[in-house]
Amino acid sequence: MRSLSRRQFLKASGIALGVGLAGKELLSFAADGASKAKRHVVVIGGGWGGATAAKYLRLADPSIEVTLLEPGKQFISCPFSNLVLSGVESLKNLTLSYDRLRRHGVKIRHETATALEADQKRVRVGKDVLEYDRLIVSPGIDFQWDQVEGLEAAKDSVLHAWKAGPQTIELAKQLQAISDGGVVVLAVPLAAYRCPPGPYERACQIAWHLKNRKPRSKLIVLDANKDVVSKGALFKAAWKDYPNLEYRPASKVEKIDTSAREVTTDLGEKVKYDVINLIPPQRAGTIAVQADLVGADKRWCEVNHMTYESVKQKNIHVIGDATIGLPVPKSGNVANAMGKVCAVAVAHMLNEKEVPPMPPGNTCYSWVNDREAIAVVNTYKIENGKVVQIEAKLTPGQSTAVAQNSLAWRTSIWNDVLG
Amino acid sequence: MRKLMCFFTVYVGLSTLLVVPNDAASLLDTPGGAKTLTCSACHGNGGNSPGYTVPTIAGVAPSYFKKAIQDFADGKRPSPEMEPYAKMVLELGVDDVAQYFASQKPRPPQAKADAAAVAGGKKASAACAACHGADGKGNPETAVPGLRGQPVGYLKHQMFLFKQEKRSPGDQQLTTLKAFMKEIPDKTLEELAAYYSSLR
Repeated sequence: MRSLSRRQFLKASGIALGVGLAGKELLSFAADGASKAKRHVVVIGGGWGGATAAKYLRLADPSIEVTLLEPGKQFISCPFSNLVLSGVESLKNLTLSYDRLRRHGVKIRHETATALEADQKRVRVGKDVLEYDRLIVSPGIDFQWDQVEGLEAAKDSVLHAWKAGPQTIELAKQLQAISDGGVVVLAVPLAAYRCPPGPYERACQIAWHLKNRKPRSKLIVLDANKDVVSKGALFKAAWKDYPNLEYRPASKVEKIDTSAREVTTDLGEKVKYDVINLIPPQRAGTIAVQADLVGADKRWCEVNHMTYESVKQKNIHVIGDATIGLPVPKSGNVANAMGKVCAVAVAHMLNEKEVPPMPPGNTCYSWVNDREAIAVVNTYKIENGKVVQIEAKLTPGQSTAVAQNSLAWRTSIWNDVLG
Repeated sequence: MRKLMCFFTVYVGLSTLLVVPNDAASLLDTPGGAKTLTCSACHGNGGNSPGYTVPTIAGVAPSYFKKAIQDFADGKRPSPEMEPYAKMVLELGVDDVAQYFASQKPRPPQAKADAAAVAGGKKASAACAACHGADGKGNPETAVPGLRGQPVGYLKHQMFLFKQEKRSPGDQQLTTLKAFMKEIPDKTLEELAAYYSSLR
């Protein structure tokens, strides 16, 4: 695909990055790229981060060849999937095609990256090998089944529904089928995990469903954290409408016994359930762990705050929920922002231009019933090469106006990711 | 409640289908582009909003853009969503960001306008034209925003906020506008929103 000399040239010229172009903020890469050899960027993972990065690489510099590896044939939005559990939304409305991404010239292969060979700058896809100039890894999360006793063996029947898809549908069915008077247990892992407010939005949606359709049922939330991790005051205000919701902080589920339909917390407390939704502890997606992109904790990937290049492997960038060290939540909006920033940074680096400071942002909505939502917005700046928060602002309360804005947000951001 | 959700779903379903890709390479060919990366999550590619309640900021005059950003950042125009982003824009350099969006071509909403509402809005629009212009283009010299081609939901929501003294509360320059809004029935405001949204 590319000559070895090109790679050597890039390797040598990498030293010169960051100097010589101060003052010229942005350049039309397309215009001065006529004499360039073809550069190839491989993106692993077509979620909020990876799909965005693939698209924006092509927008930033159409001369860069982009291959996206994503085993899923369709994009399913995790944001809004809690509303499927209450029947307020359908998974069909959250399922989107990758077709429009192809129109940007992104080559999509619905396959799994099986191994990274960082020294050789190549990715193995089954028996095939893809060479890259730079690699963007957007691996999302995988679960640490071994952190809860009995979970590994029961993982097919104990639902997490923390990756929107078949498990979301299955959990919704179980919630519909529960007998009136039955108990639902929702287990929340210790932070850090994907989508900090997600478990509490889910608690709202399950409690709303039970209140309206199974009035004698109740929801017990066993939270490993000492308090609600995100939007705490707003969620607690919303929970006043749900006397059927029992919130137990500092209650980490350590064991599950599916035959007894019972979980045990670190306090030794045993809690019986009719329906269990156990969100397991998480780490970066498997490929990031296998490729040694994770830190000493073996969970998350540390990156450069301006380029998202891995601090452990050169020419490999990591974005989205798998990252750690930036003062940002693991959200779809942040992954989308990281995808854009990383793509534009990579385009600059491949063109031997100085990378401008490009901070991420986060807008995060949570629905507290079937028509009202709350939100938090975080914005950032780059200071001494690091992402620093400017402000975090919450909506004053829950409202239908915020819910309407959340729908405008999803229309727009899905288009930003895939359109 | 059910109705509201039904409306939301139909609207989102339609608008998702109708969104078109952005022109390639426009992002980095324009100075300021790299400072606007986070904006597109809500305001669409190149500032063309596909969302019902979020304004299109493509083609907005820098005078109004900068006033809006400053008012959001100062809390004069209360918005939990925009206040933090406005502060971020000020950090990045509002002139560059304003210039970038002013240089983008606005694309009108693709949703079909309600003809009866548009006709009603046209009849009621004479008073608006005094400041916003007969064509709804606005006036860059006085930082009066253009209204034409904005999403219906955005225009409607903003007029209701004015009416309820929730947009720019206490802003003396807007006293006349707000007094005027309070005299207009909600239905007429909705028709005005439909009319200005339909203008090209």
